[in-house]
Amino acid sequence: MKRSVCSGCSLLCDDIMVKSDGIYIDEVFGACLKGKEKFDQVTSQNRILSPLIRKDDTLQKASWDEALQRTVDLIKKSKKPLIYGLSNSSCEAQLKGIELAKLINGFIDSNASICQGKVLDNAVNSGITLTTITEIINKADLILLWGSNAAESIPRLLNKVLFSRGKFRMTGREIKTLIIIDPVKTASFNTMGVRDVALRITPGKDIELIKVLKEECCAADSIPSEGVAGLDKDDMKRLLQHLSGAEYGVIFVGQGLLTPQKNSNLINELLELVQMINIKQERGRITLAMMGGHFNMNGFDHVALSMYGKRGNLHFKDNQILETDENIISKIENEDFDCSIFIGTDPISHFPMSLSSKLAKKPIILIDNRNSATLQLASIVLPTTITGIECSGLAYRLDHIPIELKKIINPPSKIPTDEEILNQIIQKLKSDGGN
Amino acid sequence: MELYKYLPKTNCKLCGKTCMAFALDLLQGKVKADDCPPLLEPKYKKQYETLKELLGSEEGVEKELRINVDTDLCDGCGICVTICPVNARYCPPSLSGKAPDYPPEKHQLFQVKGGKCELLELKYCRRIEAEGRERECRVCETYCPREAVKIEYV
Repeated sequence: MKRSVCSGCSLLCDDIMVKSDGIYIDEVFGACLKGKEKFDQVTSQNRILSPLIRKDDTLQKASWDEALQRTVDLIKKSKKPLIYGLSNSSCEAQLKGIELAKLINGFIDSNASICQGKVLDNAVNSGITLTTITEIINKADLILLWGSNAAESIPRLLNKVLFSRGKFRMTGREIKTLIIIDPVKTASFNTMGVRDVALRITPGKDIELIKVLKEECCAADSIPSEGVAGLDKDDMKRLLQHLSGAEYGVIFVGQGLLTPQKNSNLINELLELVQMINIKQERGRITLAMMGGHFNMNGFDHVALSMYGKRGNLHFKDNQILETDENIISKIENEDFDCSIFIGTDPISHFPMSLSSKLAKKPIILIDNRNSATLQLASIVLPTTITGIECSGLAYRLDHIPIELKKIINPPSKIPTDEEILNQIIQKLKSDGGN
Repeated sequence: MELYKYLPKTNCKLCGKTCMAFALDLLQGKVKADDCPPLLEPKYKKQYETLKELLGSEEGVEKELRINVDTDLCDGCGICVTICPVNARYCPPSLSGKAPDYPPEKHQLFQVKGGKCELLELKYCRRIEAEGRERECRVCETYCPREAVKIEYV
């Protein structure tokens, strides 16, 4: 029985117990269903155990040497390769991924760029502090879920931030106020008490709410009496009272707020609102926390930042980094690539039809541990280990705290890790280039 | 104050308190009708029997407490483990708040095993052990986001 870190989602719970004999995992205590599924992935049916190569339009088993050789040949032929994913790999593998991108003059991006990357960049630039889970547990008295359904996306998040009894919040749930702004009545609404505020907003009207709240911050009584965005005037006043009266408030920004909107920048408006409230605040501050899906969502930001001073969107040419505003979406939309390498992600099912159809036209190299929609279209598939269970590595939690993942069991049939595969490709490219 | 009517109303203090205080305690279930010595005398026999009947009809047949966790709905978030006041009393504080440890403490009611919540020991539940208003504890049922925990009397 050993204490271990769960790599099911970006919360990276470090208080779970795993009973294992070094070959199989017998029992997992404390992990939620999402984490348990990750441990079940080790022996699941859709696990890939040997390299696959597309021959005569079908995927066939191949040897490691053959698969690696085909990969290197494909990369050498390509002029504008695209590397995407890496949010389900350790920071060490992400470092190798950047090294590979530099070597092959490619474009590299992680899943964070279509998720919460832009929020982080803007928040840091506008001087809003980000908070940590420990701080929220021990100090926070207001938790605002805006467009996020924590109870189902990160099951243990509410348990930790809302229900835990912290050092200065000894009574736990009773002393903390929960506010949820969401168009749908999600499972998170069930954790509300009598003091909490539930705001069922009209879909797509968040921008109006933020603008009215900003006006109210400058001049009192500027809320129209009929309310905005399907919300009551009284409810909005209560929301503002809670926000400006909190000792330590946290806004959890979910996917609902990150959806791109025409003619407006929702994130910048929100950050301005937070700044305005913080100026008005007398007792404390409002901070931000981002929700992430993949367990090492933030890792790529930190690795890229430490190497090139940029979060994501690294474009290399002749061993130099190019200044570019492009991201993975615009790259695919303009079809500005001729080969794609996906590591630990499934873009064919994540992206909308218009983008995935463009991806499918070009050869795909997939480095992953499970069967997915992308695998069905890939030219070459290289199986890897599951980071956090079959190999160790560093990962960044959703509050940007680095946490060391430990190896629990040995991988089946000596499958290499993400880092080893990328390293092998780099070595092979270098030695072939010399010839 | 129907109960007070059937007491001797002599304030003899053989039970340690006045008849009014005794009636209040009787209502809360802290004392039984047998704890009043004069009531057992033959001349109060009729009142004693009515009192027994009254109390009996209020309590009804002793029902057994059950806490059902629907494993199909439960996603192992562990909110019931954290919020349960019995668990919290014995849990050591850790970096991520007060969290139950493994192996579970003997008083612990819930634990999360294999991604699902599991009921360990019901006899320490507040609804059985505690007194007064604490007996009406229903936090695990109230705060379960998936509505998987149900408190029932069978």
